[in-house]
Amino acid sequence: MTKKRITLVILILGIIGAFVAYKMYNKPHVDVADSKSDIVISADKIQSDFSTNENLANSNYLEKIIEVSGEISELTLENKKGIITLKTNDDFGSVLCHLSDNSTQKMNTLKVGKPVRLKGICTGYLMDVILVKCEIIN
Amino acid sequence: MKTIYTVLIYFLFTSLICAQERYLTKNGSITFFSSTPIEDIKADNNQVLSIIDASSGKMAISILMKSFMFKKALMQEHFNENYVESDKYPKATFKGRILDFDTIELTKSKAKVTGTLTIHGISKEITIEANFAKSKEAINVDGEFIVNLADFNIKIPAVVSKNIQENIKVSFKFNHKPYKK
Repeated sequence: MTKKRITLVILILGIIGAFVAYKMYNKPHVDVADSKSDIVISADKIQSDFSTNENLANSNYLEKIIEVSGEISELTLENKKGIITLKTNDDFGSVLCHLSDNSTQKMNTLKVGKPVRLKGICTGYLMDVILVKCEIIN
Repeated sequence: MKTIYTVLIYFLFTSLICAQERYLTKNGSITFFSSTPIEDIKADNNQVLSIIDASSGKMAISILMKSFMFKKALMQEHFNENYVESDKYPKATFKGRILDFDTIELTKSKAKVTGTLTIHGISKEITIEANFAKSKEAINVDGEFIVNLADFNIKIPAVVSKNIQENIKVSFKFNHKPYKK
């Protein structure tokens, strides 16, 4: 009787373990649209933070959900994915926002020269600050 | 005095000409692929910066490691935290030049690119063959090559060594446009 009970407990634990492992293996990506922004900032500020001290900015902004606002200087479509370039005071640097599939479809409502608010995940700084998986807020 | 001015003007003009001959993309794409009987791993990066100086054939590429997007969040986490340590080494770079750049034609032609590839803080000389198409409005480059993980001191734990190939196929596609501003 006790032997049966022990095997039953082990079996149940095994099933739970396998289930947890499976869940972890298939852990979903962060849903930008449903998550709260970690940092709210202007395009100008984040660009100047990266250009003055990239290492510090990396530790502050990388992999965070950033809500950024600025003026649209360019709207492009590359491989069916929308990219919004935000103007900054810096002549060369800007903020490049790579849109999610969902937001790419809404890109036609936007116009160059108009202000926009987006949120996305910051992956770093090359010539520009780069945000991916961006959602248009307004 | 006059000669100084002449020299200055000369430099001014040459630098202007050089500035016009830069071709650039901020949205280049790099994909890597590993296939084992256990699982396939694929990651895309569509934010690669690549610059070609058309006067000399020099090429410079910058890649953000955190811009590689995986299908599974856990793979992306392991890639960044354990394998390439992107907090410590946030970028991979390539600096080099295109051989026989002047002979590349409008239509697709093959050319060799040679230079230094730096991943995970380790630099290695590589020479690869890529497809080029050159015109006044664009320089398009694509191709693929193999990266050996051990070459760049990227360690894969024994537990998952069967899930990841030792040699990773990397493919790239850059559509450079003339740089204006």
